[in-house]
Amino acid sequence: MSAFKRKRGGQASVNKKAKKAKFVVDKAEAPLEAEQEKKNEVTIPPPVSLGKWTNKERVLIFSSRGINFRTRHLMQDLRTLMPHSKADTKMDRKDKLFIVNEVCEIKNCNKCLFFEAKKKQDLYMWISNSPHGPSAKFLVQNIHTLAELKMTGNCLKGSRPLLSFDPKFDKEPHFALLKELFIQTFSTPRYHPKSQPFVDHVFTFTIADNRIWFRNYQIIEEDASLVEIGPRLVLNLIKIFQGSFGGPTLFENPEFKSPNMHRREIRLAAAARVREKQMVKEMQKTKRTEAKQEVAKDVTADVFLTPAEEKAVHIQTEAPAPKVTKKNKHKAFKRQRMARR
Amino acid sequence: MIIDSRTMESAEEEEMLGQDSEEDSELSDDELQEAFAKGLLKPGMNVLVDKPKKFVNNLEGLKQCLAGFRKELPWVERLDMTNLPAEDVISKAEGKVPSVANGDVNADDDFQREMFFYRQAQATVLDALPLLNKHGIATKRPDDYFAEMAKSDQHMQKIRKKLISKQLILEKSEKAKKLREQRKFGKKVQIEVIQKRQKEKKAMMTSVKKYQKGMTDKLDFLEGDKKKGKDSAQGPKKAANKKGLNAKRKYKEQRFGFGGKKSGKKWNTKESHNDVSSFRAKVANAKGGKGGKKGGKQNKRPGKSVRKKIKSRS
Repeated sequence: MSAFKRKRGGQASVNKKAKKAKFVVDKAEAPLEAEQEKKNEVTIPPPVSLGKWTNKERVLIFSSRGINFRTRHLMQDLRTLMPHSKADTKMDRKDKLFIVNEVCEIKNCNKCLFFEAKKKQDLYMWISNSPHGPSAKFLVQNIHTLAELKMTGNCLKGSRPLLSFDPKFDKEPHFALLKELFIQTFSTPRYHPKSQPFVDHVFTFTIADNRIWFRNYQIIEEDASLVEIGPRLVLNLIKIFQGSFGGPTLFENPEFKSPNMHRREIRLAAAARVREKQMVKEMQKTKRTEAKQEVAKDVTADVFLTPAEEKAVHIQTEAPAPKVTKKNKHKAFKRQRMARR
Repeated sequence: MIIDSRTMESAEEEEMLGQDSEEDSELSDDELQEAFAKGLLKPGMNVLVDKPKKFVNNLEGLKQCLAGFRKELPWVERLDMTNLPAEDVISKAEGKVPSVANGDVNADDDFQREMFFYRQAQATVLDALPLLNKHGIATKRPDDYFAEMAKSDQHMQKIRKKLISKQLILEKSEKAKKLREQRKFGKKVQIEVIQKRQKEKKAMMTSVKKYQKGMTDKLDFLEGDKKKGKDSAQGPKKAANKKGLNAKRKYKEQRFGFGGKKSGKKWNTKESHNDVSSFRAKVANAKGGKGGKKGGKQNKRPGKSVRKKIKSRS
């Protein structure tokens, strides 16, 4: 047990119960019945903690109040995937942000992932290096959690991830800073007591459409066939600060549009459309009720006039002569007339 | 002329050092007059406009921060790779040239985008595996290594069930489609086969009956459809009779078939009046005609004694 004595105290030894089974090789102790862990003495690689855990990274993952179920599940998923993470209770919204630094110090964490929900709709994520380091604020979109049935992959809990970055991260200084921040936050330290010695999944960070897309894949075969495990995130950078949760702004994303503005624009567009329609209607109405001009002369009246000679006006002074009516015309019947014809 | 409100402010700063800003707007009449006297303002319409917002991009600050923040860790601790997506084997095989440069992926085309991410991860894995092997970190866990997984077994069961059900649904729909097609085709075939069989049966029955009644003493029908026009005289006569029968049958059917008498069938119509198909010139112009039934002997049924003789003979 000497190799695993933690200076921190009791908590660590409780956690170590799960790992005790691994040490049968060198300790020859009866393995404790951790329900999901069995071990075959011969074939596993040397246990994790044969090496010393030097890279002391601890990430504090917590949120503010007012988050919805999806965010909560996302946080839980991140805690599952990152064995070097710690959880904390929800922070009250009325506290200022720099209080987060104090919480980090209390928990002895040097990185922090803080989720902030506004209006129960928008989710913002802060990622920061706790005492002095830089921090960044993102708007999170398109969250898909581990629990979705379309994500069919699975990985060991606490296994170390490979991190894969887009070459675009090296082109801009702000992306380079973000890359360093991601590497330090998301990579599990080697020989961390809760980690597993295998590398069986890979996190990808890609830049597309001026956003950072996060994916997590399980490595099935050595020939790089992959299956997605989840979760999925899209991060839209807002600002980078020099200090942790404060300090001078180092970078501001010019293409970022706050979700409020976005919704406002949509509403304004709809309102503008409605107003236009109304205006058109009104114009039509006024046109209809306008007093119409009387057209005195019909322009087309002369089209068919054909000038003719004027006749002399003849006034009849005497009554016309009566017509002579013949009676008793002996006409044959019509049929006989027709037959004759 | 467009005045920048902020430059205005700075220009007026010296004049306003001691003044209280009692007015709400930064540009009061006095200031404007002074500015005009100075020559900053020109006559005409002057519009106040906000300076376009400048976005902070402190390159130096960023670089310094990065330099201070960076931790010099060996690769084994970080396990990070930066690479472009792997070659798109499928689209190359199909001969399609990737229309999009490797750097830019269209974020709206879901499939393309996800494939891009997938290939990037693949490239990482392919590049990282040799490095991991060098450092002695395994990526394959042995079959008997049981440990807690990120997703519980229950959850994986659910996933498996869903996949299976999806497959089943697909199969069912495929089967249903095939069945529908088959049924349409099969019905046609079935009808044809049934009709053919009925025809054959009928032919067989009639020929058997004929033989039984002594009209034919040949057993050709047993051998199948072997047509032998033996009696040539019989042949055409038979054919003629057949036609006549057909015509008679037709007439009867027309009058009495499918529900019997229809109204108006006793009236002459233009068509029926003009229809001279039933006029037989021979019959109409024949004088005297044949002497009774000369050829009738063929149709006539032989007497009892003759029939007995025939029966006993065969």
